[in-house]
Amino acid sequence: MKKKLAFTSLIAALISLPSQAEITFNGFASIVGGTTTSSNDNLYGYDDNFDFKEGSLFALQASSDLGEGLGVTIQLAAKGTDDWEPEFKWAFLSYDATDELRILAGRQRAPFYMYSDFLDVSYAYPWITPPTGVYDLIFDTYDGLSAIYSTSFGDVEASFHGIYGRITDKFDAFGETITPNVGDLTGLATTFTYDWLTLRASYFIADTTMPFSDLEGLAHGWSQAGFEDVANNTRLSEDSSSFLELGFQINYDALIIVGEYTNLEIENSPLAEEDSYYVMAGYQFDSILVHVTYGVDENVNDIYTSDIPYGLHPDIDFLKGATEGFLYSQESEEEYVTVGVRYDFHDSAAFKLEYTDFTNKNNNSSDAGLIRAAIVTVF
Amino acid sequence: MKLFLKAFPLLVGLLSSSVFADVAVIVNPSNNSELSKSDISKIFLGKSKTFSNGESVKAVNLKSNSAIRDNFQKEVLGKSKSQVKAYWSKLIFTGKGKPLKEFDNEKEVVSFIASNPNAIGYVDRSKVNDSVKVVN
Repeated sequence: MKKKLAFTSLIAALISLPSQAEITFNGFASIVGGTTTSSNDNLYGYDDNFDFKEGSLFALQASSDLGEGLGVTIQLAAKGTDDWEPEFKWAFLSYDATDELRILAGRQRAPFYMYSDFLDVSYAYPWITPPTGVYDLIFDTYDGLSAIYSTSFGDVEASFHGIYGRITDKFDAFGETITPNVGDLTGLATTFTYDWLTLRASYFIADTTMPFSDLEGLAHGWSQAGFEDVANNTRLSEDSSSFLELGFQINYDALIIVGEYTNLEIENSPLAEEDSYYVMAGYQFDSILVHVTYGVDENVNDIYTSDIPYGLHPDIDFLKGATEGFLYSQESEEEYVTVGVRYDFHDSAAFKLEYTDFTNKNNNSSDAGLIRAAIVTVF
Repeated sequence: MKLFLKAFPLLVGLLSSSVFADVAVIVNPSNNSELSKSDISKIFLGKSKTFSNGESVKAVNLKSNSAIRDNFQKEVLGKSKSQVKAYWSKLIFTGKGKPLKEFDNEKEVVSFIASNPNAIGYVDRSKVNDSVKVVN
């Protein structure tokens, strides 16, 4: 009965809304061309064939104000790297409970990073894309709820963005497509801005399940050999995961300095713990911004099979070899420097040019140089 | 000659500051809210949605090719054209803000504000008439 009442009043509320709610359309696009500087180099999906598809994207957003604080926003983005298959990045109902409190329900961006909320809107930041070494979580969107509380303490503006939801979007890794379950994704992102200084911190936890068939096979082998602990570590099943981000931004006259540090850990899993950071400094000369970024990306794995000796049994030797092969393959220590310019040549468009020098300290065959040029726009 | 070179930027500075001063921020005459420069800035950056008297704000812009808008953004918001655009695109594409209503000319802004008690806008000081109140 109560449910019926609530439903009836919702219908009543919807009926009483203006019948022709205005729909606003906005969009943005990046057309990015890039190539690595030598024939053996591969980086961020680019090789030595000049490519226009990998980094290019188009997005269209429709939003409507339903009145009484209620709104709908839908954003559809198509990326070259996904063969232009469009995907909903945002699709939510918003409710402005007060001027300071906003509730979102539906599909939305997880506020993992400083630039997460407008991750694909290249017009809104200096680079063509934010540094890949830090911005490399497989997921950027979740389905669930969030609450954004924005307020100010004297001269300090503060925002608290809490989320709860789940991610089950298919993705490709290790040569297969899987449907993950990142469940009970819970987190908080806080941002404080005082005049020229912005400080940000975010922390998220989740239970992660990723059924990769090769790892499942190895885990099954360990389980049959009686090593349940090793089997559990090898299987990516409901593993508690955490993600931490700390960031700052300084906008002082023509000077811009930005830095972000992130740590990702999936406990009892064969995936490495990842520590990444970058620092960027830029200077605005009228309509030209010149910037340089230095970043480091470190993946360290727990080799949890190391105290199992070789020689116990040929099957165990095989399992140990295969498992450690995988564990070591996840480790890396990478470093990159990106220099770039942004030229605001038009009211709604900017031209960007960047060169990235990438170094892999563990494996110098994957060192690479990458040149990218982009025209980015909002409309 | 050197003196002239020094005096020249100063002169340009004086000229351009007098241009800024010609931007009048206007509200409906019935609006009795206190508005500091920082209040106005917060309104036009979508951070503040109510006047000090508790009424919700309806801020309006001139089209982006307007020189008055450029001056207003530089002077009051302290941001260049592309900085403002980048700032607003963050709000728009996260669903946090809707673009402000835009008018083709100052006459339309004045008449909109004259007929909307909660509206705020800006025009060249020479375009102000009795139907609106200047707050800066």
